[in-house]
Formats: sequence, structure tokens, C-alpha cells
Amino acid sequence: MSIQQLINGISLGSVYALIAVGFALIFNILKFSNFSHGGVMVVTAYTGYLSAIGLKNFISSTPLFVITVAVAALAGGLVALIVERVAFRRLRINKSPVIYYFVSSITMGMLLENLVTVFASSNFYSYPFTLGSQVVHLGRFTVATSDLFMLTFSAISLLLLIWVLYKTRMGVAIRALSFDVNTSSLMGMDVNFVIMATFVASGILGGISGVFLGINYTLYPQLGKMITKGFIASVIGGLGNITGAVIGAILLGVTEVFFIGLVGSGITPVFLFFIMLAFLLIRPQGIAGKIVQEKA
Amino acid sequence: MDLFVSVITFTCITLIGVMGVFVVTGLTGLFSFGQASFMAVGAYVSGVLGAKYNLPFPVAIAAALLFGLAAGLIVGLPTIKLRRDYISLVTFGFGEAIIAILNNSASLTGGATGLSGIPQLTSLWLVLLSAAACIFIVANFKYSKFGRQCLALRSDELAARSMGINVNRIKLTAFLLAAVMTSYAGVLYGYYTTYVEPGMFNWTVSAEWIIIVFFGGINSLTGAIISALALASLPEVLRFASEWRIVIYCVIVLLIINFRPTGIFGEYELFARQGSSKSGKGA
Repeated sequence: MSIQQLINGISLGSVYALIAVGFALIFNILKFSNFSHGGVMVVTAYTGYLSAIGLKNFISSTPLFVITVAVAALAGGLVALIVERVAFRRLRINKSPVIYYFVSSITMGMLLENLVTVFASSNFYSYPFTLGSQVVHLGRFTVATSDLFMLTFSAISLLLLIWVLYKTRMGVAIRALSFDVNTSSLMGMDVNFVIMATFVASGILGGISGVFLGINYTLYPQLGKMITKGFIASVIGGLGNITGAVIGAILLGVTEVFFIGLVGSGITPVFLFFIMLAFLLIRPQGIAGKIVQEKA
Repeated sequence: MDLFVSVITFTCITLIGVMGVFVVTGLTGLFSFGQASFMAVGAYVSGVLGAKYNLPFPVAIAAALLFGLAAGLIVGLPTIKLRRDYISLVTFGFGEAIIAILNNSASLTGGATGLSGIPQLTSLWLVLLSAAACIFIVANFKYSKFGRQCLALRSDELAARSMGINVNRIKLTAFLLAAVMTSYAGVLYGYYTTYVEPGMFNWTVSAEWIIIVFFGGINSLTGAIISALALASLPEVLRFASEWRIVIYCVIVLLIINFRPTGIFGEYELFARQGSSKSGKGA
């Protein structure tokens, strides 16, 4: 495996890290797997596309990319807020069993995906950037500009998230809530507000990853299925663990690029699937090492 | 008449798939997003054997069921001991993996262009009989010792475990039963349309089946059957609204989950067994 592949793998992994962390944030607080995250990514990827198309005659390529990511991130936060309000608020108030959260999130994901299909048809679109063809030379190695942008943006947003989680009042509140909802609310915390804030954070990450996926794979309504990569990363890293998710995602990205070089991109998902199964057999608690058991 | 027959056939095939989901999700509380991939396994294994090797229909069925069982074991064994979330995440990945395998073994499965030339052996009577048999099996499963243990572990796994129920074995049994049943639905599908392609079996199909089960109510087999009959046959009739169909289903399901979480039919059963409805709450 060459250094070149390693660089590509890390940049791909950084996008997976965004997905996996957005997924892990919600898992931590509400203790269920949020399948609607894929739908949020699709909607934001298209929103970003619309803004890029609208502005492409006025702004040059690089700032346009930044604006597109920003618009998508905002849209992601907004969509995630709506999802929380429509799909999960009432369930939480009614203290519904966890399987209803599952169904609600699946339904919400399908709803978002199909709304995109209805309004944008199932054609393929691509962003009007010309980043893909440009490369940057770093010593002996060449990196595609788009990869470099993805890596930088993902790193910045993940660092920002970690700063928020560990250095701000809101971050402390989110961590307290993921530890124990009842005690936190008895301590006078506004649970609804903190959960909304978590959804916004997860939606922002989802929005950014949506645009990156759209750049990598072109835009189509089923883009949300790329959330599988986020799932695999979370399973490898340890379910609901944010550091683990990042490590798992980077590992996954590197492994994927390695296998694509070895056996071709078509059959790679099969290998990734078996790696995930092997991980579950050998180390079900994931890299992070804390096993999450069903609450009694 | 042809349209009528095809609507009935597809509805019955969906019904068999939904019965599988009812066992896994309705009774046991697990979520499988790879259920449609088991259908792909069944359709492709039997289809390849029928179209390429000209094996007789019953042999193809048996092989398909065995492969379905094996696939169920591969997915089920590592995941069933873990938290429930894992099985939904892993089955999701399983669906992707199956589609990748089908797309990349073009010499055997025809790849993305699909597998054609499967003999058309699924008759109306076969489909009706199969659907009835599956309903019979699931109904008996629900009221058997296994079904009751499934229900117990769905509502509280820890309590079920402490009552001496072998939780992992019961979960695996339910999962494998559903896997085999869905593979059979795949056989019927392949031998009816004579043509299968990987795109027909993605996760949205599995999600649609879960939605159908919740539409009727997860505690009611009758509800699952009726909603499968209604939701699977309507789109065949209302082709013009096909774009909006899933959107409308989703909105309805969100409304149901928010305002009537037990589903339309609640716990109602058309043929409730003697005593079962009374002892149900106490047990």
C-alpha cells in the first residue's frame, strides 16, 4: 500500500467520519440508530446543489465551494430540527418503546429520499465546481484539490464539534444528557432544547457530508444509502462513541481505498461487510472498547 | 384478467415477505433492512439453477431455501448476541454486499443487466397456496411457545432472560424462519417474472415491508395481513400516483406512530385463540 493510497484513504475516511459522528451524536442521546440521517444528507446535498447552480455565474470556483458547504450545513441543521419535531418529539413525550423510534426514523428517511425523487427526478447531477481535475503537489505526492478540501473541512468541523462538546456549557449539557436523561432534567436542564441542539449539530455534519458525497459520487436521490459507511465505521469504532467513530471511519476509508486498488470498486462492499462481521465476532465492543448493552 | 392475476401474484409475494418481517419485527422487535436481500438470494439461486442448469423446480426451491438459511446464519450468528441496533446496521450492510456480489458476478447472474430466461412456473394456485401456508405457519408460530417467548423478549429482554428464556436462540430462530420464508418469496418472484435484476432488492423494499407491518399494528397478525393486501395491491391499481405513493405511505405511518402507536388494528385478531387474548395481558 503506497503513501498515495493512504492519503486518498484518509480523505475518504474523513467524509465517513462526518457521517459516523453525526449518527453517533443522536445515538448517544436517544439510544437508537437514526436512519433518517441518510435522508438529511440527501436533502442537504440537493440544497447545496441548488445554491451552487444559482450562484455559479457570480462567484469563482473556490468561494463557491465554501458557500455551498455553508448553505448545506445550515440546511442540514434546519432539516434535522424538523425531523426531531415531526418524528421524535411526540415519541419522547409519550415515552414510547425504542422500536417506535426505529420505525419513525426509517419512515422519515424514506420520506425525505422520496420527496427528493419526486421534486428532482431520479437523474444524476453534478456540482458545478471544477475542483476534481485540479491537483496539489505536496513533495512527491499529488492530492486532488477536492480531496484536500474535504480533509480540511472535515477536520475543522470535527475539531469544532469536539471544542463545543468539551469546552462550552451546551457541550457539557449534551454530554450530561447522553449520560442520564432523567437526572439531567431534575437538575433543571431544558431537555428539549439540548436535544434540539444535538439534532442541529448532527444535521450540520450531515449537511457537510452530503455535499462531499455528492462531489465524490455525483448527486442522485439514493445517495443516502452511503450512510452504510457511517454504520460500518460506528460498528468498527464502537457504537455511540465519537472518538471511536472517527478512528473507525478513517480506518474504513483507508481499507476501502486499499481494497479498491486490490480487487476493484464493485466488489469492495462485500469485503467491507465481512470485515465488519469479523469485527463483531472478535471485538464486538469496537475499537473504543466500551460495550453498549440494551438498557433494562 | 392477466392484470388481475399479476396483481394477486405480486400481492401474495409481498404478503409472504411481510410475514417474514412480522416474525422478525412484529414478534421479536428486531429490524432487518436486509430482508429484501434474502429475497434476492432466493430469486437468484433458484433462477440461476433453473435458467442456466435446467434443474427441476423443486430442487431449485430447496437450494434457494438452503442458501437463504445459510445467509441468515452468516448475518445472524455474529450479531444476535449484541444489542438490537447491530442487527439493523449489519443487515443494512448485508443488503449492499448482496447487491455488490450480484453486480460483480456477471458470468453467473448477468450483473446489473439482470438474469433472464427463468422458466415461468409460478402459477396462481401455487402463489395462493404458498401465501396461505406462510400465514398458517406464522399464526401457529405466534401462538406457540416460541412466539410467546419472542413477545416476552421484545418487551423486556432482561426480564425474559431472567425467566429462563434462551433469548439468543429464540432471536436466531425467528430471524432464520424469516430469512427462509423471504427466500421462498424470492423464488416465487423470480419464477413469475422470469427476470430479476439487483436493483429490485434494495433496502427501500425492506423498509416498505416494515412500514406495512406497522401500518396494521405490530401486535396484530390480522392487521399485518390486511395492510399487506391493501398496500401491496393498491399501487398496482393506482399506477398514476406511483411517484407520490411512498411519500403518502410515509406520512400516514408517521401520523400512526405519533397518534396511534399500536397501529390501525391494535391487538385485534380475526381468529383469536381461546384464552389467548385473556391470558395475554397477564402472561
